Amino acid sequence: MAIALDDSQSVGSRRYTPKVTILVVLLCLGIIPPFLFLAYASLHQFDPTGAFGPATLAHFIGIFTSRAFIPTLLATAIYSLGAALVALVIGTVQAWLAERTDAPLRGILYVASAISLGIPYVLYIVSWLLFLGKAGPVNNMLRSLLGSAGPYIDVYSLGGMVFVEGMLWSPFAFLLLSSVFRNADAAYEEAATMCGAGLPATLRHVTFAMARPALLALALLVFIKASESFEVPALVGLPGAARVLTSTIYLRLTLDMPPDIGSASAFGVLLLIIMAILLQAYSRIYAEGHRYRSITGKGYRPRVVRLGRWRYPAGILIGLIPLIVVVIPLATILWAALLPFYQPFSLQAVPRLGFDNFVQVLRSPSFQGAIINSLVLGAATATLVTALSAVAGWCVARRVPGSRLIDNLATLPLVFPAIVLGLAFLEIFVHAGPLLYGSLLSLVLVSTVAYVPYGLRYAQLGVMQIHPELEEAADISGAGHVATFVKVVVPLLVPAIVSCWLFVFLLAVRAMSMVLLLVGPDSQVVAVALFDLWNNGQIGELAALGCVWTAIMTAFSVAFFAVARRYQMPIG
Amino acid sequence: MLRVENLTKIYFLSDLSSGGGIRHVDFNVGAGEFYTLLGPSGCGKTTTLRAVAGLEEPASGRVTIAGRAVFDSKTKEFVPANRRNIGMVFQSYAVWPHMTVFENAAFPLRMSRTRRWREVEIGERVARTLDIMGLAAFASRSAAQLSGGQQQRLALARALVAEPRLLLLDEPLSNLDALLREQMRLELRRLQKDVGIAAVYVTHDQSEALALSDRIAVMRDGAIVQIGTPRQIYYQPANEFVATFIGRSNLLRGHFTQGVAPQARAPMQTPLGPLLCECPSGAVAGEPVAALIRPEHVVLTAVGRASDPAAPNRFRGRIAHVAFLGETTECLVQVGDGVEIVVYSAAGEYTLSDRVDVFFPPERTLALASGEKSRVQNSSKGNQS
Repeated sequence: MAIALDDSQSVGSRRYTPKVTILVVLLCLGIIPPFLFLAYASLHQFDPTGAFGPATLAHFIGIFTSRAFIPTLLATAIYSLGAALVALVIGTVQAWLAERTDAPLRGILYVASAISLGIPYVLYIVSWLLFLGKAGPVNNMLRSLLGSAGPYIDVYSLGGMVFVEGMLWSPFAFLLLSSVFRNADAAYEEAATMCGAGLPATLRHVTFAMARPALLALALLVFIKASESFEVPALVGLPGAARVLTSTIYLRLTLDMPPDIGSASAFGVLLLIIMAILLQAYSRIYAEGHRYRSITGKGYRPRVVRLGRWRYPAGILIGLIPLIVVVIPLATILWAALLPFYQPFSLQAVPRLGFDNFVQVLRSPSFQGAIINSLVLGAATATLVTALSAVAGWCVARRVPGSRLIDNLATLPLVFPAIVLGLAFLEIFVHAGPLLYGSLLSLVLVSTVAYVPYGLRYAQLGVMQIHPELEEAADISGAGHVATFVKVVVPLLVPAIVSCWLFVFLLAVRAMSMVLLLVGPDSQVVAVALFDLWNNGQIGELAALGCVWTAIMTAFSVAFFAVARRYQMPIG
Repeated sequence: MLRVENLTKIYFLSDLSSGGGIRHVDFNVGAGEFYTLLGPSGCGKTTTLRAVAGLEEPASGRVTIAGRAVFDSKTKEFVPANRRNIGMVFQSYAVWPHMTVFENAAFPLRMSRTRRWREVEIGERVARTLDIMGLAAFASRSAAQLSGGQQQRLALARALVAEPRLLLLDEPLSNLDALLREQMRLELRRLQKDVGIAAVYVTHDQSEALALSDRIAVMRDGAIVQIGTPRQIYYQPANEFVATFIGRSNLLRGHFTQGVAPQARAPMQTPLGPLLCECPSGAVAGEPVAALIRPEHVVLTAVGRASDPAAPNRFRGRIAHVAFLGETTECLVQVGDGVEIVVYSAAGEYTLSDRVDVFFPPERTLALASGEKSRVQNSSKGNQS
């Protein structure tokens, strides 16, 4: 009697294992509906009850014929490009100093990055708005120097947006670039030295020439993230009438009564297409950028440039960067948190410092609720994403039949700007799940869909570090698929799983624009609470809540850093 | 051409214990000489090379190139690596993948501080150098498209294009497959002699060292253990370590019952009985020593056919293992009480369990110290310059 072979194991078989089938179904359930609803909503009229009316192209026509369309596009492009350049320059300088020189105090750069990962976006942006605002210390100083009629810095402008967004992304740029520099083979630079090149020539012809593709990839990535961002355009741009695509969507939904969902959806579709094109370009450049990656030779320490008498200026620069990127914002927030109502920095205000705001925040049931909701949201999202990603990552890394489909499905959410994803799910819940609308569960669902691509990346990397022969040995020894996965893969995957969990947790609790449209009275989260407090002018509470939250989040982000570095997982 | 004196550099581990390095390394390389630093991993040969290059700064010592001190710990002199006018070939070749072959080779000329090269001159010199290396056809190609052997030649071209006074090579053949390695070995030697440049070569491969070098410095644990020509290193190893590191060897441990004068022959007490050995550096009575005989010097004859049955160093043995290696046959012969001797026998066919006569020619049997005491041989060549 012939022994029947398991179809799923034979090479070239197109049959999907149950594992793959379930995974594909789950992913489709989460990822296809947002596309469908968004597209549908952009092509249909709405009647006053919110139900779908007849099909129409009016929304799209309205966008393209609007006089504000080209300026909005232009503003988005300038804003994104500017932010990318700012982040790139700061990140490159930091990364090079930290990884390839013997400049003193390099560790500070990593500490600053760890802290900045824990600061909520809204809090960070608000701190700069306070610091650079009309009543802030910078403008005060300029006024006293140049006279009250003199020019001052208007942070509520496109320039202000570029600055704040660039600052926001510079720690991310630093982390990504520091791994590029760390992995570069020192032999290339030593060869240049032996050929007679001094430091500037080596930097120009070798170090940065070889890093150019990676730098380009990073710049494009920040460009993409800036163009889909919402927090800075909303907080910094809207008050100053600087409009970009994402803030326009928000306006369509909040300014008009009833909300112009059709037009907002049409903008969303437009953004989706732009994102898809940009992401394609990015993946091509990313592959190019990591072509020169090499493993440093046997037992050599990667060569560090001796700065000699430039050590002290470099040390000062290193001290200055975290000062500007992290300390000033935190100090501003702390100042605001300790005052009963916000005043610009002056010595007379010092006696009024106190902890009233903190007491109020920590005692208030609604803020306590927000904190708990955020923690639950983060934990639930992280757990769901990690579980899904572990299996999906394994399937993709091991190239089982169906892995391409899984890979494409799981990476699809990346094309959604956060606010557009929130809009899509809003439409889903309003039409197909009114019970879910406004619940914490709805937030968890959106978050999970949004962060699956990130989880997949970690899981994939983790599985690739596990040699397939380890699983094959279990196979030969008689273990089934599930046993092999649970007893061999998962224990070895633990560093990737933990890194993934912590990273997704940090992302999920920071998400504001994604959940902004979906929170209800029972599902308030900290990120949105901060946004509301700012809009209400409650700066003291905002700062106090922000401080408390940052402290909690820093603990998590430090843990994440420690795990990621220890197991050589990527950070970000 | 190169004089290294008393070079010391210690690496410390995080718990402040010593993580290796070099101590009191001394050697000279003459003009046009091919000089090899040979030793196992971690012996300090690469550290020494990098110290000469200027990529590492030693704690103490002096390095002089062509009469000019490039490093001197006493006067705090330190010429940076990019001003030493040395050509260097790295183990990974470090050929820049984002430049063409031409640009890679032209780089040292463009960086030259001693002379401003005009574009035309650069073109001529680079073309000539690439031609010598057989890379002329690839000049405008991206360096990333070259094979391993071609990259190696490009690295060599780049190192030589500016006509430096000294060439440093850090295990340049170790990344090539065996056949290519043999070919490149020949080419390397021929090139070095044609150009007439002094070269310092680092390797752990002893057959490479023997084939290429004018002189070899054997290193171990951060110090030089012996310096000599390939023949001297092979036939007159200073101690057990050198003997076992270079070529295959048979070592019989024992001691002398009486003191022995240097260069004298005396019988050593070994597990096989008394063994007449040459004792190049003399020996103290009772001191543990080892008798070295190379497998190709042991003489095997069929039992009863020996020419002089009463001669010393003659033993009975039995073939325990035979392996036909092509150019020779390797036999493992059991002699006396559990002693196994490796013999290379070009002639004579032996089979398992054959009884044979084993003879150790006294002039080929060396008595060696076991290791710590090092003896550095000064040869006639390669004095100060």
